[in-house]
Amino acid sequence: MSVVNYGTREITCKIVYYGPGRSGKTTNLQHVYSQLPEERKGKMVSLATETDRTLFFDFLPLDLGTISGFATRFQLYTVPGQVYYAATRKLVLQGVDGVVFVADSQSRQLAENIESLQDLHANLADEGFDPRSIPLVMQYNKRDLPASEIMPVEELDETLNFRGVPHYAGAALSGKGVFETLRSISTLVLSRLSAPATKGS
Amino acid sequence: MAKEPEEEESGEFADFLADVSKEIAERVESLSPAPEPPAEEKKLRTPRVAASDRKKTPVAEAGLIVEWPNIADRLIEEMR
Repeated sequence: MSVVNYGTREITCKIVYYGPGRSGKTTNLQHVYSQLPEERKGKMVSLATETDRTLFFDFLPLDLGTISGFATRFQLYTVPGQVYYAATRKLVLQGVDGVVFVADSQSRQLAENIESLQDLHANLADEGFDPRSIPLVMQYNKRDLPASEIMPVEELDETLNFRGVPHYAGAALSGKGVFETLRSISTLVLSRLSAPATKGS
Repeated sequence: MAKEPEEEESGEFADFLADVSKEIAERVESLSPAPEPPAEEKKLRTPRVAASDRKKTPVAEAGLIVEWPNIADRLIEEMR
């Protein structure tokens, strides 16, 4: 996806929240949505099943207005975490500019976190991205659960964050860490803005 | 109409917007395409062609008017 278009004076960033089922990806987007001023609230599209699991994906368009003469839009997506929605995850990753990996801090979810991370890497590679260089931020979610149920952040980081990317402790239900994570991935994505090949391109 | 970020916002979203705006402002400044050179400068940059390389005006065939600036004079003369 073209991040900056000098011809139409537009900046568009696609950020995908990835992670295992029930790790809190949709909750992240819901918190962002809840903090938007009324006049900026577009439609958050959420396709969920009766049991509140994401069936297809969530989509939250963020219109940030005109910044330095550029109409700036962020598009936030989540993928369905469940293993059997592999095709959908791949589809949502098309044209991605940055990824937030939302890991579930619960000790018993470690294997799911690892499996989802491997799935992310495989799908990124399939879509032509280099999994070692695409902007990525880790969020260790559910830090509000009892300490006996969750792994220490350092341990999670050692196991999952082999690239050493920025990581954040989160409790998306209360909003903790949600905007820090979003700010971090946005900065990483924007720092890769590339110069136009020719004027007006 | 698109809203400028300088306008009043509050809370987490405002902080986020401020950070994003700063990042974009810095990036866009450094990446803006170079302005078109002024016309005069452009003129100077036009490559000069050696006289021998210049295309010669084709020789006019008989009956074909090639000296266009003189046509008006000729018409006036004819009409007298």
